[in-house]
Amino acid sequence: MAHLSWKTVGFLFAFLGLVWACSTSKDTPDPDPDPNPTTPVGTDRKAMLTHLADNIILPGYANFKTKFDLMRTKSEAFAAKPDPTTLTEFRQAWVDAYTEWQKVELFDVGPAESQTLRYFFNIYPANVAGIEENIVSGSAVMDLPAAYPKQGFPALDYLINGLAATDDAILLRYTTAADAAKRIAYLKRITTQMNTVFTAVLTEWTTGGYRDKFVNCTGIDAGCSTSKLVNGYVLHYERYIRSGKFGIPTGVMASGTPAPEKVEAFYKKDLSLVLAKTAHQAAIDFFNGKDIKTGQEGPGFKSYLNALGAKDSQTGKSLVEVINAQFESTNAKLNALKPNLHDEIKTNNAAVVAVYTEMQKAVRMLKVDMTSAMSITITYVDTDGD
Amino acid sequence: MGRYFRTYTSAAPLAVFRIAFGVMLLGSVVRFWSKGWIEELYIKPSFFFPYYGFEFVKPLGEYTYLLFAVCGLSALLVALGWFYRMASVLLFLSFTYIELMDKSTYLNHYYFVSLVAFLLIFLPANAYFSVDAYQNRSGFYDQVPRWTIDSLRLLMGIVYLYAGLAKLNSDWLLEALPLRIWLPGRNDLPIIGFLFNYRETAYAFSWLGALYDLSIPFLLLNRVTRPFAYVAVVVFHVLTVILFPIGMFPYIMIVAALIFFSAGFHQKIIAVFRSWLRLPDHLPGPEKIRVYSPQRTRALLAGLAVFFAIQLLFPFRYVLYPNELFWSEEGYRFSWRVMLMEKMGHVQFKVVDESGRQAVVNNHEYLTPLQEKMMATQPDMLVQFAHYLRDQYTRKGFQNPKVFADTYVSLNGRLGKPYIDPTVNLAQETDSFRPKKWILPFGDEIKGL
Repeated sequence: MAHLSWKTVGFLFAFLGLVWACSTSKDTPDPDPDPNPTTPVGTDRKAMLTHLADNIILPGYANFKTKFDLMRTKSEAFAAKPDPTTLTEFRQAWVDAYTEWQKVELFDVGPAESQTLRYFFNIYPANVAGIEENIVSGSAVMDLPAAYPKQGFPALDYLINGLAATDDAILLRYTTAADAAKRIAYLKRITTQMNTVFTAVLTEWTTGGYRDKFVNCTGIDAGCSTSKLVNGYVLHYERYIRSGKFGIPTGVMASGTPAPEKVEAFYKKDLSLVLAKTAHQAAIDFFNGKDIKTGQEGPGFKSYLNALGAKDSQTGKSLVEVINAQFESTNAKLNALKPNLHDEIKTNNAAVVAVYTEMQKAVRMLKVDMTSAMSITITYVDTDGD
Repeated sequence: MGRYFRTYTSAAPLAVFRIAFGVMLLGSVVRFWSKGWIEELYIKPSFFFPYYGFEFVKPLGEYTYLLFAVCGLSALLVALGWFYRMASVLLFLSFTYIELMDKSTYLNHYYFVSLVAFLLIFLPANAYFSVDAYQNRSGFYDQVPRWTIDSLRLLMGIVYLYAGLAKLNSDWLLEALPLRIWLPGRNDLPIIGFLFNYRETAYAFSWLGALYDLSIPFLLLNRVTRPFAYVAVVVFHVLTVILFPIGMFPYIMIVAALIFFSAGFHQKIIAVFRSWLRLPDHLPGPEKIRVYSPQRTRALLAGLAVFFAIQLLFPFRYVLYPNELFWSEEGYRFSWRVMLMEKMGHVQFKVVDESGRQAVVNNHEYLTPLQEKMMATQPDMLVQFAHYLRDQYTRKGFQNPKVFADTYVSLNGRLGKPYIDPTVNLAQETDSFRPKKWILPFGDEIKGL
């Protein structure tokens, strides 16, 4: 008897399942004009991830590699023969590579995340005392959190721009100074370390199979690409653009006391605004899905949000428009600044704080409105402003 | 009515319910434990959000594991019907204690489990097909008062019906929110995934979901529609498993809904259990009826009447608050409002002391990501945390610190907006059942129940 009843239940189950399947398939709309901007194409996350990987992330890394490799060549030339020419060339290559870095730092997903690429490239302000200690010891461990501000672009900034007031005096530290050989060795150590980590990241993307893994993990749960990408993106915007470049040096995040020595590229002086603008524009372009090679927009956060129909229900404005308008407001504040953020913070801090304030508005939109529209959970925790 | 309370029926449905419920809870505890959530949610955090009036309920440090062990063990004993009375009391107390430790883990289905566990304390669920009944023949009964089974049906009916009523609002029915936001996230599912690209699917799911919740108790009660209704129960809950990270709830509801089936159906299930366990397939003599003394019946029924009156009224307490329910969440919990909102928020606290010294708080220093996420959209939690910050910063040397919250909350796809009055010193506000005046207006209206 029991068997019979279970069979009956099973049959009913199958029957209703079928009914359900048939009834829901009616929900498929006919190809009549859709009043909403909801096109199935736009919500195809695989297409979005493919575009982001193949036309933004990978070419971005390739561009960076070119600039970075050139910087390594110039740094080797400088190490072999420190003179005014090699120093100038090294510095220029450093500027170019550092600027290009701003366009890839935001890809905080997959290998870059697992290798903690950023920590070996751009943790500032540089720890000068620590760098000098490492130069003396010659064998410091470079992989621990305490070592992050003693390497990467900020350490190079100190080593090629910040050792002395004049170029001649800087050169002396690499030629006649007692620790010149050790200093050169440390310079090499930093570039080698950067190269090792970056190569590991790039290799995993290109030949390590991560690219396929990335485009095929299409779920929106915390373990999959879209969520990781969005989390990495918002984290980057909040902590490394808003806080790192503006919130912390202006002092708005802590006691209100400005700390201009905490700006990016502190020793180069006039590069900080360029770096900030480059990073901000890269974040905008990534949001809009702008192809790095062609400059054309493709499937990205923008098209995905539009396809989801994300809009402010009260004004009818699309969320994408609202966010892009906020990016523009930030740009306007950025454009009002002079190239040397260190000096700006000292003499014109209100204008720098204004950038932070605009960015804070964008952070909320990205972190709350965008993730909510995508139903993605923010899983990172902020560690800014202590 | 008096006659109804003197009607008796087979004890088999209660026995099956007891077993299924116990096994499900044991499974839930094992799952919770094996995922490392005890550590993650109840041991690691330095701060917990207590419920109003239950501030004394706190995690027990390492002994929290013991608490879960007690809960799991009592669930097993309930399933077996062994030391049933003690086990059911322990199950209710341990499970409820766990749920009261931290508000940020609130789920309607935990509340449901607590209520069922509470009811089971008073029901003769161990009278039949239980270790107790086998060991102590005098405690064996195969007939129990009908109301004992019907009380479980009533509770389930309330859960479904109220969940359905809660869906009768403009966001759910007219805008298909929040399903419209959630479903596209599952458009990469095989076979059915493409459906979720269409807004029509979200509307269909919204309306069918409301219809399902409102009608299913009645369809399950009716003998003719019952098999179909049960298939609908299975399909509905399996679908929620596929679409949402919803844990054990669907499975619990699927087995709990069996309570609506006839005695004969449950006797067949027990016959299957008997043959699996190779227990003798016999009925020990004539029918034995569990008859309570009149005093006891009266006490039990009076207690049940109070219990159900609370169940029926408590979810409507929200009408006493002036704010929009979904926005302020005053009267939101314990009301079977399930999956009604996509709500996300961001909050930054500022602590200012008398001398003007100020600090911006890193929430993560004190809270887990889950706690921070839940707190950002719930005013009672915001004020609780503000008090905690006040005490922390006092210890750090701040004189009479004031705590201000810079908040931003988005609800069902509306663009985010400030949530809490940023000029209000939350250190001085209190959490109570009174309306919270420092919640900023929603600026929109969600019509409906």
